[in-house]
Amino acid sequence: MNKKLVKRLTGGLLVAGLVGASLTGCGSSSSSSDVAATGEDTVEAGSNAGFRTLDEIKKSGTINIGVFSDKSPFGYVDENGEYAGYDVYFAERIGEDLGVEINYVSTEAANRIEYLQTGKVDIILANFTVTEERAQEVDFALPYMNVALGVVSPEDAVVESLDDLGADDQIIVISGTTAETYLTKNYPDIKLQKYDAYAEAKTAFENGNGVAWANDNTEVIAFSLENEGYTVGIPSLGDQDTIAPAVTKGNETLLNWLNEEIETLGTENFFHADYEETLLDTYGAEYEETLVLEGGK
Amino acid sequence: MDKDILIEYLPLYKEALLLTLKIGWQGIILAFVIGLIGSAILHFKVAVLKSIVGVYIEIFRNTPLLVQLFFIYFALPKVGIQVTAEACGVLGLGLLGGAYMIETFRSGLEAIPVIQTESAESLGMNNFQVLWHVILPQAITISVPGLLANVIFLLKETSVFSTISLMDLMFTAKDLIGMYAKTIECLFLLVVFYLIMLLPISILGALVERRMRYGQFGD
Amino acid sequence: MASLGIDVLFKGTNFLRLLQGLWVSIEISLISVVLSILLGLLVGVLMTVNNKVLHAILKVYLETVRIMPQMVLLFIVYFGTTRVFGWDMSAESSAIFVFTFWGTAEMGDLVRGSIKSIPTIQFESAAALGMDKVQTYFYIILPQTVRRLIPLSINLITRMIKTTSLVMMIGIVEVLKVAQQIIEANRKTSPNAAFGIFLVVFLLYFIVCWPISRLATYLEKRWA
Repeated sequence: MNKKLVKRLTGGLLVAGLVGASLTGCGSSSSSSDVAATGEDTVEAGSNAGFRTLDEIKKSGTINIGVFSDKSPFGYVDENGEYAGYDVYFAERIGEDLGVEINYVSTEAANRIEYLQTGKVDIILANFTVTEERAQEVDFALPYMNVALGVVSPEDAVVESLDDLGADDQIIVISGTTAETYLTKNYPDIKLQKYDAYAEAKTAFENGNGVAWANDNTEVIAFSLENEGYTVGIPSLGDQDTIAPAVTKGNETLLNWLNEEIETLGTENFFHADYEETLLDTYGAEYEETLVLEGGK
Repeated sequence: MDKDILIEYLPLYKEALLLTLKIGWQGIILAFVIGLIGSAILHFKVAVLKSIVGVYIEIFRNTPLLVQLFFIYFALPKVGIQVTAEACGVLGLGLLGGAYMIETFRSGLEAIPVIQTESAESLGMNNFQVLWHVILPQAITISVPGLLANVIFLLKETSVFSTISLMDLMFTAKDLIGMYAKTIECLFLLVVFYLIMLLPISILGALVERRMRYGQFGD
Repeated sequence: MASLGIDVLFKGTNFLRLLQGLWVSIEISLISVVLSILLGLLVGVLMTVNNKVLHAILKVYLETVRIMPQMVLLFIVYFGTTRVFGWDMSAESSAIFVFTFWGTAEMGDLVRGSIKSIPTIQFESAAALGMDKVQTYFYIILPQTVRRLIPLSINLITRMIKTTSLVMMIGIVEVLKVAQQIIEANRKTSPNAAFGIFLVVFLLYFIVCWPISRLATYLEKRWA
């Protein structure tokens, strides 16, 4: 009597079963390919979607670099459609020194690890803060910038301590950032309002959807300097961290090349030049020494 | 797949499911109300209102929900109209759904033979009584399969809520992937929870469709 | 009006970039629709075949499409498949794959419906004339269904264009992402750009989808 019903029910269960089975299957197969990837650097191109070695990148003539496209002044797209910013300035130099074309991949904070692990990009240069959790998933090269967390709020209702927040006050964060992880871990009672993209978070903050915005202090300082009516009430929260390029776990050739590159660039004070070119307008000269890390130290 | 991780994430997904359902149902009820009123306006060809409903349908059926939400949530505050994320989700879903519900109800209304209206009138019923006692009960019954299809469609559409900071199922999955990179587990739970939410409705749809066929006389 | 950020559009190549972003969406939809129609015809014919195993497989397929949000499918294909099979699918091919997967199911169901509505006598007459199965479908059945399917597939195009707004989530720079980039790059000079730009994006989608859905309605009425 319930033939159609039964059919549909079994149909649904089969969907669940199939998806489950394929995902389980993938769990084991992906871990086995991870082992293969770390064990062997010169895997044939194409056979392993894990990553491309330095030679493979050079041979292909193009490097895929993941950057932000909506995070001014670090990685954004200007009015002529060109990528620009502190991270991009560095990326351009990498392309030049490798002698390859650059293919920029627009990334969101939450996709960065995923992009590397699935080999969608060779390098992530998207204001990627070095943390222990992340270091288990990807390999970081030498750092090129200092960072801590900061909290910006409107001038007329400055948030100076996270302890005096009201029960209903929401703090805006961006999904997949260190600010999110830090607040989730250390202030589990604070209500977070999470966005995917920088542009969305900033617009929501301007619109007054949250009492404050927590993010890298570089970013919130820039915001308060560029937009009137905002103050960074908490300039430094949590540990002092660094920002570094990241590559897929086990991609040693590329990692070593990047480390050498950063050391070499240190001798010509490259990142100071980068700062002056891309960040000076926003921060002025006073932040140069606190922000810039030269030669990886 | 790591069982511990699945167990660890389970409560987060449960919470997300509740939020998705909460906003989803509020939006669907709004859509239902808009649908009833709008279809009545179209059916009885109410002057002026008829054209407004027409324009409304065209606008909301020809733009993506994501863009509608972006506009309501990010753009409107710039001209002084502030909406919370939850209200925006309910409003967006209700407006989008309303445009589809109107069409569903209207085809239900049109399916009822004119002779019934005429008979009811000859029995001395007024317009409202005809609508309330004769037309609507039948029209809604006829619309039920279409309605359930709309409900599934709208609950699926809730997956774009993540962009306006609502912690729905999709957002929870994306967020966890971003923080801890346990992609497989997160995607698996995501699929399972959508099945939990939508499979029963899909089954109900099949059941109702069968029942309805018994409910029809003659033809 | 300057304060609402419409002026930002005319800076540099901003407006052109928005249009290019829109074209990305349209391109993905068109390719997917063409693939969906071709595969949908095949799937539709298969659905009318009396074979239990085949029937069960197609049932599962249809139910998956019915229940899973496109965004979930996008994530599974884009991030999941790389981990499962090691395929390195670009975001664009993942999007086309998902949209075709979805469109084929919809088309297939429609094709099945219209084949079922063709009287059995036609199959029998064709058989009596000595045609084999393939010939019957190719010369008799499919040509009749096509006319009924055209308005429906045009409708599918608009639905796909609307759904392309999701591909931003897997890193494709389409119109909505371009909009965000423009808002971000001009936040300092025109803080209210969000209004003007999102309004324009809203209108762009409408301008593209509305004529197409009118055409579908028109054809549906004319050919019904």
